[in-house]
Amino acid sequence: MLHAAVVRSPHAHARVRALDLSRAREAPGVRAVLAPGDCDALDETAEFEGRAVVAVAAETFGQARAAAELVEVEWEELEPLLDPEEAVRRGSLVGEPRRYERGGYERGLAEADAVVEAEYRTQTLNHNPLETHQCVCEWRGDGLDVYISTQYIWGVRDDVAAAFGLPPDKVRVICEYMGGGFGAKNGAGGYVTLAAELARRSGRPVRLALTRREENVGGGNRNATIQRVTAAAKADGTLTALGGEFICSLGWGGWLASTAGPMQLLHACENVRTVEYGAKLNLPAMAAFRAPGFVEGTWALECLLDKLAAELGLDPLELRRRNYANVDTMDGRPYSAKELLECYRRAEPHWERRHEVRARSDATWKRGVGLASQIWYGGGGPPSYAWVRVGSDGRANVVTAMQDIGTGTRTAMAQIAAEELGIRLERVQVQVGDSSRGPFASISGGSSTLPSMGPAVRAAAADAARQILEIAEQRFEREDGTLSLRGGEIVSPDGTTWPLEEITGLLEDGQILGKGARGPNPAGMRVLTFGVQVAEVAVDVETGEVVVERIYAVHDVGRVINPLGARSQIEGGIIQAMGHTFSEARLDDPHRGTVLTKTLDAYKLPTIADVPEIVCELIDKPDAQLTNLGSKGLGEPPIIPTAAAIANAIRDATGADVTSLPITREEILAALREARERERVGAPSA
Amino acid sequence: MEVLTPRSLDEALRLKSENPQAVPIAGGTDLMVAINFDRIRPNAVLNLNEVPELRGWSRANGTLRLGAGLTYAEAMREPLAGLLPALAEASRTVGSPQIRNRGTIGGNLGTSSPAGDALPPLLVAGADVVLASVRGERRVALGEFVVGPKRNALAEDELVTAVELEPASAAETFMKVGPRNAMVIAVVSLALRAGEELRAAFGSAGPVPILVRAPRDDADAFPERVAEAAAPIDDVRGTAAYRRHALRVLTRRALDRCLA
Ligand SMILES: Cc1cc2nc3c(=O)[nH]c(=O)nc-3n(C[C@H](O)[C@H](O)[C@H](O)COP(=O)(O)OP(=O)(O)OC[C@H]3O[C@@H](n4cnc5c(N)ncnc54)[C@H](O)[C@@H]3O)c2cc1C
Repeated sequence: MLHAAVVRSPHAHARVRALDLSRAREAPGVRAVLAPGDCDALDETAEFEGRAVVAVAAETFGQARAAAELVEVEWEELEPLLDPEEAVRRGSLVGEPRRYERGGYERGLAEADAVVEAEYRTQTLNHNPLETHQCVCEWRGDGLDVYISTQYIWGVRDDVAAAFGLPPDKVRVICEYMGGGFGAKNGAGGYVTLAAELARRSGRPVRLALTRREENVGGGNRNATIQRVTAAAKADGTLTALGGEFICSLGWGGWLASTAGPMQLLHACENVRTVEYGAKLNLPAMAAFRAPGFVEGTWALECLLDKLAAELGLDPLELRRRNYANVDTMDGRPYSAKELLECYRRAEPHWERRHEVRARSDATWKRGVGLASQIWYGGGGPPSYAWVRVGSDGRANVVTAMQDIGTGTRTAMAQIAAEELGIRLERVQVQVGDSSRGPFASISGGSSTLPSMGPAVRAAAADAARQILEIAEQRFEREDGTLSLRGGEIVSPDGTTWPLEEITGLLEDGQILGKGARGPNPAGMRVLTFGVQVAEVAVDVETGEVVVERIYAVHDVGRVINPLGARSQIEGGIIQAMGHTFSEARLDDPHRGTVLTKTLDAYKLPTIADVPEIVCELIDKPDAQLTNLGSKGLGEPPIIPTAAAIANAIRDATGADVTSLPITREEILAALREARERERVGAPSA
Repeated sequence: MEVLTPRSLDEALRLKSENPQAVPIAGGTDLMVAINFDRIRPNAVLNLNEVPELRGWSRANGTLRLGAGLTYAEAMREPLAGLLPALAEASRTVGSPQIRNRGTIGGNLGTSSPAGDALPPLLVAGADVVLASVRGERRVALGEFVVGPKRNALAEDELVTAVELEPASAAETFMKVGPRNAMVIAVVSLALRAGEELRAAFGSAGPVPILVRAPRDDADAFPERVAEAAAPIDDVRGTAAYRRHALRVLTRRALDRCLA
């Protein structure tokens, strides 16, 4: 196997004036070199740092890297566009601005007793999965095998097939295990094209793995935002208008995630007006990142709501209840199920703790409690398929070409099949991760793995069960539809039981083969997930240090399949949100547009010492309208409300309004000064 | 890259004088990072891990001697932790368990970073750095050993063999501010020893760690004096104004803790 290294633009905006590959081609161990023109993934113009220019494959990674260093590139540097507001002014946008309006926004403002406005900002964040983007490509005859760390093996298959003009099934994609993605690994990406082309030219398998530095530049990111938002309400808290301008620093590509989504969907409000801009800048492109758009948008919306509550002198939880939406806020469709009120009810005792928490404040440490709600998709959808094979030993094999991105997918699928077949979990094996060894399966993104795949597996297991029972009913001369599978046995209503193997054993080498497909989502209904988090914080008003002492999370995702796995998603989401709230930020050189935080030393993920006490609860009520399973996804919901809940707790503790992420100690001190000033002059907070 | 591994201090000093360009390596937690970042490319390293004289600590005539190879994990252990509580507290804030097992006091001195967490506690303890070469041994006050950011008084044939200092006879403490709760370079750090004389030393608020002294009676004015002694800069970790402010607050709190 060969190893690849990539020469990339060190500039945010530049053109190759001259390129000399002669020394690199002669370097020890080099087997293939690609330059612009050889492959679409290479270009002579760099519109962002990290743009690939040359790729080298050599016998060892060291040789490949050494050869890459011998590539001589003469760059002509060009002026980079880095300021998102400037980009909007100049019309440098990815796609059209997205405008949305319902009701009459101006009328809503006019009817209000209170109006609050604020500008909130969020930073650029890197996914930094512990495993960087990587693949091994190997040609076999006219077909290509791609071993890859991915969230979507079928997407990779289609992307790579299109890049090489191959029939899709000539590309086989394999992903047995992987070390995290968070949305950054939803497709193939240029690095796979490079590896495949190097493999084609050298006639050898080629491994291309991004280094941590490459990952921190070009691995995708959650784009920064500037959000200018307004909320207006009657004295009783009824929202009369919500509005916002959202400027998203997308970089040189990507797409405009819905930052206005929470404002449009979370609370009932007749008059809403939003406009979103995707600023096209000379920076690396964004990629989906765990609830893209909604994480940023919820931070602004839910902080703004608490500001409004303070203005109206209303309890923040009560304000949310008074604006509860009973039907979809955008088109009036009924929800397939919505337990947000139940979430509020269960959050209440945790919210009530605020009196006791505040009372523990002293001269330096001020304590407070804040909450924020969450809305997100997560219903999944068709198509997705699964097969369930039952052998003569009564064991089952679930076969589907999905991937387990570390969320416990194998276990969940085994649980679903085991329940349907009435056998123990240990008797079910799950085979995933190979596009040529199983039917099409969903992407592991958008919290859709379980709600998309679970129903297909359940249907396949039910199909197998039906076939087993049909044989049993004939064999034991029972009426059709009278027998069932339970506890590893075939059970008759009269109490007679037979071991499952008594029927499956008849098969010898034969097998029962069940097939299942994911059915449609309920027609005319809106499928969403909901939740509430309550944060308790202590703020050191002298140094600006914030300690998050406890976070309570309650989420409604329909039926819970694996309680331990579900809890892990909540904890993981909150821990990642802790980093987003306090320590993580990609820093760019303000003039050159190059990334300064390229290592995990500079880009500060949260450590275990930063993790608060986390108390999780799940409503666990199956969504009766949604599929044969009633389950929604939980990968994304828990990361959505955390930052706002924390900021609202800081406000509760100190009166300070923090408006930008990450929250630094200096910002806390500045916000405290402003709060004291407001109090001194007695000005309203708006 | 050549790796020289002496088995005794004499051999180490001889190798260093014969190969002055050989870079000493103790825990390697600074050096390997510098190599990984391609900041230096040494053609020889002098591996100090097999030199018994550099290990551990001892006490004679009331003076403590910490071997250059003393790790943070060792400084956190009793009875040494009781003799030098501020150093033990500082050690607990260093990196992660892996870093504390490998990283040494001698390495922290060798790096001489303004953010080196061992330096403020050593400064308030009046530490002398013991330097040795084939030419002999000399002692330099720690305040004079560090001459600039990441620069020190080591001659090219010298090694740090130990630090000598007074155990804490009075209350002392250490505090550190960082952007997260572990694995951080200090935004600002402070060690305070409150004996007959008040001694405070801080890191990350000037080109070198600085020691400030005052009579015990001047405790009220001390936080301001410490803040004034700082020469902080703005950088990605924090602004100069914040650093000065935080030093004032930390000094007052450290006094409250130690004089209580
Ligand atoms: C993840 C991580 C976290 C860290 N966290 C912290 C932290 O919180 N606080 C902190 O202060 N530091 C921290 N550091 C830096 C480092 O761990 C410390 O500075 C440590 O004390 C270095 O000791 P070492 O033995 O590993 O030094 P080495 O890397 O072996 O050497 C460091 C320097 O000193 C020289 N040297 C070593 N021994 C001698 C000697 N006897 N004589 C002369 N020169 C010598 C070397 O040549 C080199 O220049 C961290 C490092 C990492 C990688």
